[in-house]
Amino acid sequence: MYKVRIRYEKRDKLAYISHLDLMKALQRAFLRAGLPVKYSQGFNPHINMSILAPLSTGHSSICELCDLELTEDELSADIVERLNAVLPEGLKVSGAWTPQSKASEIAYCAYDIVYFCKMDECISESFVSPVIIEKKSKRGSLQADVFDYIQAISFRDAPEGTLCSCVLKAGNDTLNPVYVTASLQQKGFIGSDVLAKYTRTHIFDKNCQDFV
Amino acid sequence: MDEKLLKCLDRVRKPARYTGGEYNSVVKDKKDIDIRFAFCFPEIYEIGMSHLGSKILYGLLNSMEGVWCERAYAPFIDMEEEMRKNGLPLYALESGDPLREFDILGFTLQYELNYTAVLNMLDLAGIPAFSAERGEDVPLVVAGGPCVYNAEPVADFFDVIMIGEGEESLPELIELYRRAKQEGWTKHAFLQEIAKREGMYVPSFYKMEYGSDGRLISVTPTNGAPPTVRKRVVSDFDSAYYPDRFIVPNTEIVFDRAMVELFRGCRRGCRFCQAGYTYRPIRAKRPETLERQAKAIIKNTGWDEVSLTSLSSSDYPCLSELCNSLVAEFEPKHVNLALPSLRADSFDLQLMENVQKVRKSGLTFAPEAGSQRLRDVINKNLREEDLLNACRVAFEAGYNGVKLYFMMGLPSEMDEDLLGISQIVKNVISVFREHARHKARGIRISVGISTFVPKAQTPFQWVGQISGDEVTRRQRLLIDSLKIKNVTYSLHRYDTSFLEAVLARGDRRLSAVIYSAWKRGCRLDGWDECFDAEKWRAAFEECGVDPAFYANRTLEKDEILPWDHILSGVTKSFLYGEYMQSLRGQATPDCKAGCRGCGALSLTGGTCDV
Repeated sequence: MYKVRIRYEKRDKLAYISHLDLMKALQRAFLRAGLPVKYSQGFNPHINMSILAPLSTGHSSICELCDLELTEDELSADIVERLNAVLPEGLKVSGAWTPQSKASEIAYCAYDIVYFCKMDECISESFVSPVIIEKKSKRGSLQADVFDYIQAISFRDAPEGTLCSCVLKAGNDTLNPVYVTASLQQKGFIGSDVLAKYTRTHIFDKNCQDFV
Repeated sequence: MDEKLLKCLDRVRKPARYTGGEYNSVVKDKKDIDIRFAFCFPEIYEIGMSHLGSKILYGLLNSMEGVWCERAYAPFIDMEEEMRKNGLPLYALESGDPLREFDILGFTLQYELNYTAVLNMLDLAGIPAFSAERGEDVPLVVAGGPCVYNAEPVADFFDVIMIGEGEESLPELIELYRRAKQEGWTKHAFLQEIAKREGMYVPSFYKMEYGSDGRLISVTPTNGAPPTVRKRVVSDFDSAYYPDRFIVPNTEIVFDRAMVELFRGCRRGCRFCQAGYTYRPIRAKRPETLERQAKAIIKNTGWDEVSLTSLSSSDYPCLSELCNSLVAEFEPKHVNLALPSLRADSFDLQLMENVQKVRKSGLTFAPEAGSQRLRDVINKNLREEDLLNACRVAFEAGYNGVKLYFMMGLPSEMDEDLLGISQIVKNVISVFREHARHKARGIRISVGISTFVPKAQTPFQWVGQISGDEVTRRQRLLIDSLKIKNVTYSLHRYDTSFLEAVLARGDRRLSAVIYSAWKRGCRLDGWDECFDAEKWRAAFEECGVDPAFYANRTLEKDEILPWDHILSGVTKSFLYGEYMQSLRGQATPDCKAGCRGCGALSLTGGTCDV
């Protein structure tokens, strides 16, 4: 048995598929690629796989991770090519390796957010703590300063309008990047109907090194 | 993707329905294409994408050189609102191009309550609803599908309606269109030429005359169109085109699985069933062909289930051999086999167990009526003993639930027939108490009861639907009798069954009503949250049309029916004979016991794989 970690992009049209749909899309691709996937035991056997740090529907990513169990003991060298030959456009594998760390060690994610509008030139100086948001989670909602979750944030001009790059807490106490947008709206830096496109660019460990 | 679409996608539920980009969807280079065809399904993505016929025709058209077939589905109400707000016209999923830029829009008509969705899709595409209002620069709008056996209610909306199997007619339509385009014909010239071809109905070429009592008194062809239009069929079904690269949806659809088609047609002759008559004659595929097709689809899609489809799977001659070899192939790969449409009288537990090695599904039977007398009237040749026997075998093997489907409002139905339904349910419970392997788990029975809708081209096409008050009374009777422990039941709402009956036996005066209903906001009428009986009532009133005239009236023997000029192959005299048999309470043995001479043999020149 062998466990493999697969890194892939999820973008363009495929950004709009949900977490469950993505699981299915990947499983079907594994089967089309003829990977020796391992099935769970029991009444309703399923492919043993998990997607790390689930992404919101509608958001893109160039750095998604998925762990998969294979029945063979060795990783075939062409797994990336085999998968890319059978993936729908918008999903693309960029690497596969033996997992080095546990999923619980994910600490931050980096995002690029494109706002389809120009912002105040001094946005970086004027968008500062505290910005109190109502953060919803499975356990209910809580009031928090959005900056407690922001490790780094910067703004610059982009062809569509403004590009915001940020590093946000992830893992146990995660912040969805839509709260950055909500905070900017709350402070009046952007209107409530401005189009925002999200792309996850990194998944980090606690030292802000790429999680592997 | 353009900014308007991005805006819409952020605000709707399940946006993956509207993006395309699925594995195996076909993207071609526009410079190699001279005919752009949009396959339009007037229902939402999850339903449209589950439809086998669309998959076959999509693959077939895309196998033609120079032709690019794309897909469009009806947006759900939230997406429609965003599209209208953002000025985004209806587009095809593959290219994202507006439908208005296409050569041909082909709608499939699967269900009468989809008609307003056709108009809504045309409107979202910026195309006039009535064919008479569409000029030379607008795509040709055509239709096919099971509803075309009486397409009169939508006659005013389509330029051409293709009767029968699209594998035969669509490529011919496209080739002629190509010639017309190259040679610069007018639309009228094209229609005149296509109307000469078999199975091609150009509704605008037929003049209808009505008597003072509202009945149709004559149908006159014009522009050289033939007096009748006969259904097209695939003669050599075994070697007919079948796709091996089904589109794999990116979001869950209703039937999210591979499908192979065992056979077309049905030898049973249930008198209410339109498909049972209009898909004749029976044509079967060889088991080797099916096995090869199933393997290819699974390999190319990664699906984990194959469904063996047909109108009555137990009637496939080599079913258990086929299942055995498919199970041997697929079980090690964790691919499940689904076997819908099984009959209780040929229920084979070993087959069922064999098929369901990977995942167990439920048990479903359709006795349709609660008494033997009524089952004889509708020619559902199923005896209660057979049903109870099938349940006993299944319960002994460990099943503890069953779904039963019935119809109410069937011709000659009496209260005792309805009460027979609850008696059958009670008998099934007794069988369970006596024979179940897991008695302690308890039994779960769910009973689904729909309201009978008379359909064109069936022996019951002459029969009127019972009135709304009577439906309500009988439904109450059913509800009271079905308050039994461990039994859940569901009844179809009456107002949609009534509308279905109006449209199923309507004539072309209903086009104006459908248009008016759409104008008032009706679309996706099959959805409870969309259906608005009040708007339809107002539409009938505005057009001065009495819906009861179509739904509830029992038609005369010598009456000209609005669909008489459309020939399904089964003759009107055969259907009438069957109707008379039903009035006498006589069943007709199925075709296996000998050919009944329905007439469908003439379509294939004598082939019928009974």
